Amino acid sequence: MPRGDTMLENRPKPTPVSAANTGGAMVRMQDVAKDFSVRGKETRALQPINLTVNRREFVSLVGPSGCGKSTALNLVAGLLTPTSGQVFYDGQLVQGLNERVGYITQKDTLLPWRTAADNIAVPLELRCRNESRKVIRERVAEMIELVGLRGFDKHYPGELSGGMRKRVALARTLIYEPETLLMDEPFGALDAQLKLLMHDQLQRLTQQRKMTVMFVTHDLAEAIALSDRVVVFSARPGRIRAEREIPLDRPRDVFKVRFADTFSRLHEELWNELKDEVVKGTDV
Amino acid sequence: MADTTGTNQASSTKILIAQVLLAVALVAFWELVGRKFGYSWTSLPSLIAVRIVEWIGTDLAHHVTVTLSEIFIGLTIGGTSGILLGLVLGRSIVLGTVFRPIIVGFYSVPIITLAPLFILWFGLDLAPKIVLVTVSAFFLLFFNTFSGVRAIDRDLILSMRIMGASSGEEFRKVIAPGAMTWIISGVKIALPYAFAAAVTGELLASRDGLGSLLAKAAAQFDMTGLYSALVVLMVMGIVTSAIAVGVERWMLRWRNATG
Ligand SMILES: Nc1ncnc2c1ncn2[C@@H]1O[C@H](COP(=O)(O)OP(=O)(O)O)[C@@H](O)[C@H]1O
Ligand SMILES: [Mg+2]
Repeated sequence: MPRGDTMLENRPKPTPVSAANTGGAMVRMQDVAKDFSVRGKETRALQPINLTVNRREFVSLVGPSGCGKSTALNLVAGLLTPTSGQVFYDGQLVQGLNERVGYITQKDTLLPWRTAADNIAVPLELRCRNESRKVIRERVAEMIELVGLRGFDKHYPGELSGGMRKRVALARTLIYEPETLLMDEPFGALDAQLKLLMHDQLQRLTQQRKMTVMFVTHDLAEAIALSDRVVVFSARPGRIRAEREIPLDRPRDVFKVRFADTFSRLHEELWNELKDEVVKGTDV
Repeated sequence: MADTTGTNQASSTKILIAQVLLAVALVAFWELVGRKFGYSWTSLPSLIAVRIVEWIGTDLAHHVTVTLSEIFIGLTIGGTSGILLGLVLGRSIVLGTVFRPIIVGFYSVPIITLAPLFILWFGLDLAPKIVLVTVSAFFLLFFNTFSGVRAIDRDLILSMRIMGASSGEEFRKVIAPGAMTWIISGVKIALPYAFAAAVTGELLASRDGLGSLLAKAAAQFDMTGLYSALVVLMVMGIVTSAIAVGVERWMLRWRNATG
């Protein structure tokens, strides 16, 4: 079956993905659907969707919970294989784990026996990067500063709040500067002020390092403030209900961007799309 | 945080004092009742104390060393092999499915019942006792390590792989430390079993070790000797398990927060 998929990639297909987009495409989901079978019962998590994320683009996925946002990220990371359709990363079919992405999963995957600092250091200790102790120490200190965890570097994950653990996970991923970031509700547990600070840092870093980002959130304002494009998913089984480019100049002042006219107009438009789905989603 | 630790310390000191007082009261009761109603079956704490002091002057150190070496060598060999096999079978679904039931099958023979066999095979010296301890430790550490490896959150492994970890790194950074909790509790469980195995081996046939002291005393109806050997064993058991708890607390200090 994998061989057949590669053949399909070369064959022209009548998909909404435009030819211009494919050139710069970093992530391309083509007619991707995903079913889960739970105790013999098949449920569809994702209807066939087509989604392209261009190189250096910041795309947010919003939608009611259970609509398949995490599933979409898992497919791009190669943690799941699509039931039908294909996922391409940088022009190649994703088969097996996609090590070119950094993934901040919804569930935290810190190593409980390592302190915050040692967790953040993990990727740099790996042989594929093999940084010296001195470099690791410096970079870890920088990252701790960046995510606002100074003074907590010696704490174990069990001694940190949910929001702090998320920031440790964020630092652990940012420290090795993967070309693409997949982020699943990374700031959900943060208070409003801290969230804004994190937005600012994230924007700076992703712009500076020319990263491509797929960002899942249920906070529409956050999605608009950060993204080049926002994708609204329908209630389960997810499909793409609406897509909007966010024509706000970069770099953005994440603290003020909310007060721009364009922002409120987009917010209203997208909210109109989203609210029906949220209503549908909640009675599931 | 500091507060609760403070109160915990205060209350644990109180508990310790209460425990010591209770022990002293029990010993005093034993002494008094023995003196009043005769002590040919129960000996007396004072006689036991005198005997232990006497032994300390002669060959107690030798017997303790023998028993402890059997335990130490057996735990090292059996524990290491149990841990290694647990890691291998824990990681491989196929090997685990094939071999674990076989190992469970072997384990359903009570290990102590193998003592006569090992004595016939390996003679009267340390060897059969070491083998007995080795076998006990092997099984306990195998089962614990196996469960520990199987209990590791798969998402931790996947997240390491996405970061680019090789399978060796995955092992060193996730599997081994993740299984450590279980391995340490395996060692803690194995300690009393190792004691029992070593002493039982010595009871059956031996010239050295605390078990041989017990056997000799029993053969001569020497109640004081019997109780003295038991007291020494009890003290050794308490000390080793206290050391094990200390080591555990240090190795698993990350867990204190999670509870
Ligand atoms: N591993 C899984 N096994 C079975 N069902 C799953 C699994 N992962 C997700 N699902 C189901 O797929 C749907 C989409 O889940 P998910 O992608 O996590 O949604 P979201 O992230 O948008 O909240 C949900 O109904 C969920 O129950
Ligand atoms: Mg999710």
